[in-house]
Amino acid sequence: MSVKEGAAVNQEKGQDGYKIVCERISKEFIQKGKQRVHVLEDISVAVQKNEFVVILGPGQSGKTTLLRIIAGLEIPTTGRVLLDGREVTGPGPDRGLVFQGYMLFPWKTVMGNVEIGSKLRGVPKKERREIAAHYIELVGLDGFENHYPYQLSGGMKQRVGIARAYANNPEVMLLDEPFGQLDAQTRYYMEKETVRIWETERRTVIFVTNNIDEAIYLGDRIITLKGKLPGRMHAVYEVDLPRPREHTDMKFLELRHIITEASELTL
Amino acid sequence: MEAIANEVQKTVREKRPFTLLTILKNRWFLYAVSLAFFFWLWDFVGERRILGSSLARPHEVIIQLADMVTNPLAGKSLFGHIWASTQRILIGFVIASVVAVPLGLLMALNPYINAVVKPVFDLLKPMPPIAWISISILWFGIGEASKVFIIIIGTFVPCLLNSYNGVRLIEPELYDVVRMLGGNRRQEIINVCFPASFPAIFAGLQISLSIAWTCVLAAELVSARSGLGFVIILGMNLSRPALIVGGMVVIAVVAWLTTLLVTVLEKLVCPWKREIVDM
Repeated sequence: MSVKEGAAVNQEKGQDGYKIVCERISKEFIQKGKQRVHVLEDISVAVQKNEFVVILGPGQSGKTTLLRIIAGLEIPTTGRVLLDGREVTGPGPDRGLVFQGYMLFPWKTVMGNVEIGSKLRGVPKKERREIAAHYIELVGLDGFENHYPYQLSGGMKQRVGIARAYANNPEVMLLDEPFGQLDAQTRYYMEKETVRIWETERRTVIFVTNNIDEAIYLGDRIITLKGKLPGRMHAVYEVDLPRPREHTDMKFLELRHIITEASELTL
Repeated sequence: MEAIANEVQKTVREKRPFTLLTILKNRWFLYAVSLAFFFWLWDFVGERRILGSSLARPHEVIIQLADMVTNPLAGKSLFGHIWASTQRILIGFVIASVVAVPLGLLMALNPYINAVVKPVFDLLKPMPPIAWISISILWFGIGEASKVFIIIIGTFVPCLLNSYNGVRLIEPELYDVVRMLGGNRRQEIINVCFPASFPAIFAGLQISLSIAWTCVLAAELVSARSGLGFVIILGMNLSRPALIVGGMVVIAVVAWLTTLLVTVLEKLVCPWKREIVDM
């Protein structure tokens, strides 16, 4: 476990060979009238290919905005995002986003929701059905292809969300507090599933959460943000625990202790 | 409908011993009691002439309606009159919805169209459709056109408002889904806008239909030679209470059937809409 703090954090930018690089990103929203809301301040992150990076921060620390900027759904006020060295200018199928609120199409079945990406790209029906079926099976929803979202539980809905993003074959998976609405037990189970899926189909993952346990369980690296707007970078933790990880493992608890102590100072 | 996961399930009722109380508490029994009381009260008031001679008794209404099936009234049988009203509604309703629904969608999607249409629409919106009757008779005469015009005026507003609001109230992140998956603006509209606004549009059509019945009746009461409103007016002029109540009953039944038609249509188009149990 190595911990870098403060200024050292901002050093790692612009290096070649990174999948995703965020260079000194700041974001200000202008709300109705002229009130400015400063959401993010000087965020620099570099993510390696197939790395699982967790962005950990309390509510109101701009985590979701950061992820939406990486997704291309928001434009940073200053700074830029590079994907394989090319600047991100908008949303695109090279990144897959999993939403906190699931955002499934209620008028489509599980199959319809998962195949929507290939459908938009004009993939022939037979082929896209095969792709979708593969990912529905990967997330463990085989047998539910013809169910509508309202017939599914929260955990199952998010499985559809994950399958939908995966089925579009993105290079980078972006997950925005995907399990925030689930109960503790389902959440724990979904975290295990996330690791299983990630180990089956490796992707670069950026996972946003406010849950320290979740962050340590999932991440190769944890980037913590300081709370209360604007969100600033706080520290980076390398998690070199072997997988599968145990929540009760001594090293797990040790790291949990370190991160908790450090975050409490900033809250 | 198979229900799984966190779907609300009806609680399984325990089998209780069959007693008098079981019957008294039975839902269907209470429905029957309620209806029986209503018809008894109606018949009682009619028989005792509590409201003078102007309330026909239930069986008189039935006889009157049965008679109208075979013996034409003012040149049309009962079904002729039903069709006369229904036809006006269908023509007006179809014209209004074919124009208003797409216009509402366009207004929600394009701020310029919205800016041009909305002021005029907002100006005319609060005007009750019935207020247009006199001027529509002056413009279109006492024929079919004036009645259809009133229906168009009345149904246009809810059709437009619902398709407009249906699009405006779509969760913006649903568009993000399409954008993230590589879709363009046209695909956003086809894959999100249209399906997401269907339920609101259908709700608008439902409201429109009941307004259409109000409009056609008002128009027929003012001037008509056929239709269910005309039957009611005829009953009043001829002092035949059974004809009046009969007309009212038939209107209720036909209006209910047309609403049912839209409901069935909605189920076909939006099978994903969660059904409201026990309504």
